[in-house]
Amino acid sequence: MRWLKFAALNVMRNRRRSLVAIFITALGTAALLLAGGFALYTYDALERVTVRESGHLVVGTRQHFELDEDVPLQHGLDDAAALQARLAADSAVRHVLPRVEFSGLVSNGEKSAGMMALGLDAAAELRAKGPFLNVVDGAMPDGDAGDAGDEADGAAWVLLGAELARSLKASPGGRLTLLATDTRGALRTLPVRVLGVVSTGVPELDRRQLYTDLRGAQRLLGSARVSTLQVFLGGMEEVASAQARLQARLPGLVVRSWEAQAGFYESVRALYHRIFGVMGLVIGVIVVVVVANAMASAVVERTREIGTLRALGTLPGQLLRALALEGLILGGGGALLGAVAAVTVSALLQVFPVQMPPPPGRSVGYPLQIDLDPLPVLNTVLLMALLATLASAWVARRTVRKPIVEALAHL
Amino acid sequence: MTAPLVMTLRGVRKSYRLGRHAVPALQGVDLDLRAGEMLALAGPSGSGKTTLLNLCGLIDVPDAGAILLRGEPVHRLDERYRTRLRRDALGFVFQQFNLVPVMTAAENVEYPLFLAGVAQAERRRRVAQALERVGLASHAGHRPDELSGGQRQRVAIARALVKRPALVIADEPTASLDSQTAEAVLELMRERSREEGVTFVFATHDERLSSRCDRVVRLRDGRVEGAPATPPTPPAPTAVAASARSAA
Repeated sequence: MRWLKFAALNVMRNRRRSLVAIFITALGTAALLLAGGFALYTYDALERVTVRESGHLVVGTRQHFELDEDVPLQHGLDDAAALQARLAADSAVRHVLPRVEFSGLVSNGEKSAGMMALGLDAAAELRAKGPFLNVVDGAMPDGDAGDAGDEADGAAWVLLGAELARSLKASPGGRLTLLATDTRGALRTLPVRVLGVVSTGVPELDRRQLYTDLRGAQRLLGSARVSTLQVFLGGMEEVASAQARLQARLPGLVVRSWEAQAGFYESVRALYHRIFGVMGLVIGVIVVVVVANAMASAVVERTREIGTLRALGTLPGQLLRALALEGLILGGGGALLGAVAAVTVSALLQVFPVQMPPPPGRSVGYPLQIDLDPLPVLNTVLLMALLATLASAWVARRTVRKPIVEALAHL
Repeated sequence: MTAPLVMTLRGVRKSYRLGRHAVPALQGVDLDLRAGEMLALAGPSGSGKTTLLNLCGLIDVPDAGAILLRGEPVHRLDERYRTRLRRDALGFVFQQFNLVPVMTAAENVEYPLFLAGVAQAERRRRVAQALERVGLASHAGHRPDELSGGQRQRVAIARALVKRPALVIADEPTASLDSQTAEAVLELMRERSREEGVTFVFATHDERLSSRCDRVVRLRDGRVEGAPATPPTPPAPTAVAASARSAA
């Protein structure tokens, strides 16, 4: 305790210099924590979006994941209903959603446009996710009315991407025709009714994206198969165990985790890791330089005092520890202040939301949020304090070991 | 009856390098310091006073010769042992006082006891006693910059004496003081030497200080004036340094 008091008193000798070192360390720590917190929030948000889109697990045939199809649903899943029931029997599984992916043309009778279509079970999607698309005009399918088999005119519902709807001058209630090759390679058509217009937030996707009823899609393609089954679990922590369990039960099929499906998520994560890694390195170097500089000045100014303390019987190691403690106070104090600032900013963003502009390639912004978990915050503070302590010991080592006679003669 | 030897120097030589040249500072010095005596090292600048004082204080090592502390050879000890000997057996008083500015007078005096691992209650008792003896009991909580030059040197003396050392090394202890204060400080050291049996060795230009000492050793060109050409054989080693080694 005595050495700590001695170190604290010495830190306060040159208040301005110490405060500058503490302030810069605090600034660096806060910047690092805020950037890291933003990255964590981004990972979390992307994770949620990706899982919501693809499910925690995706079940398909090996060929579906590895080969291109010659005709639609060539590598699809047979007897999807039975498979769905087997998957749903697992205790971790909450929902199983069938998907039919296909492409073709959509026409209003005068003009045709290319489409990327997704056939889905609207009722099951609603049960699993609630409103699962951003409908900007018209309505969401309610899961019953859109069922093609129940429609008097046999028309299935479609939701069009906003740009596609604009291109076809389509609006809710309008009629369109889908054209696609079936599983035998023959061109087939399906009359559809526009139920609504959706925005995915990605203009490029809105130009081609179309959602339709699962049964309508199967009728168009002339197959009862589905492309994949998406499996939703109770939480992320169940992914690995459920994947292993389901894979063991379905040896002829492939059970993939959401991460294996999420190329975008992995790219963003890798990019952010690099950006924030470099940023962390730069901030770490700044903290070391600032604390080392402050301590170097302090040690040189106190050379004669250090000589005196050694003459009085202080061991070099004791002095080195005392000077390292000063670095710890500067670095640790600064890092703590920085952490407090970062936590405050994070809390303020909850109270006063800030909207970020849309990222490149997207049409909607997102709220700026900072996720600060206690462990990374603690680790960052400890790392900064450790760096400052080591930097202080490093710059002090020479003076502490200087011959006492020389140190006492220092002016 | 002759007082026991506290420190003995035999044939001590020391030179410093100045560029490519070795400049001799001490050229075979013999010296005996006895318990309770006040000895002044006098001589012109460059005569070797400070070098000799540094060697007596174990903050420098001789190139040749022997130094014995209470009969135990200490000139070949490594820095760790010498540090422990300085901590336990030696006190220092500097011309510029060299108090630690962030510590109060009491904390400055307490520091050597803290280093020696003395228990807190005992430290408090001895610090209060030491400050009382130098007349600064009422200034215990003052920082050095709140004290006059004479008061600072009194604190330095209290710091040197609080651990009850065998030998106090004082380099020009009155040089930064006015004559009246210097007189008072000198009297204080004389009184402490007499009452506590502590040996004081001073390096000084101050004739007033020299004249008040028990003995004056004059140095010239690194030699003791009037010293014999061949140094006598060092006495046999005894106890103190051995105990420092065991403490280390």
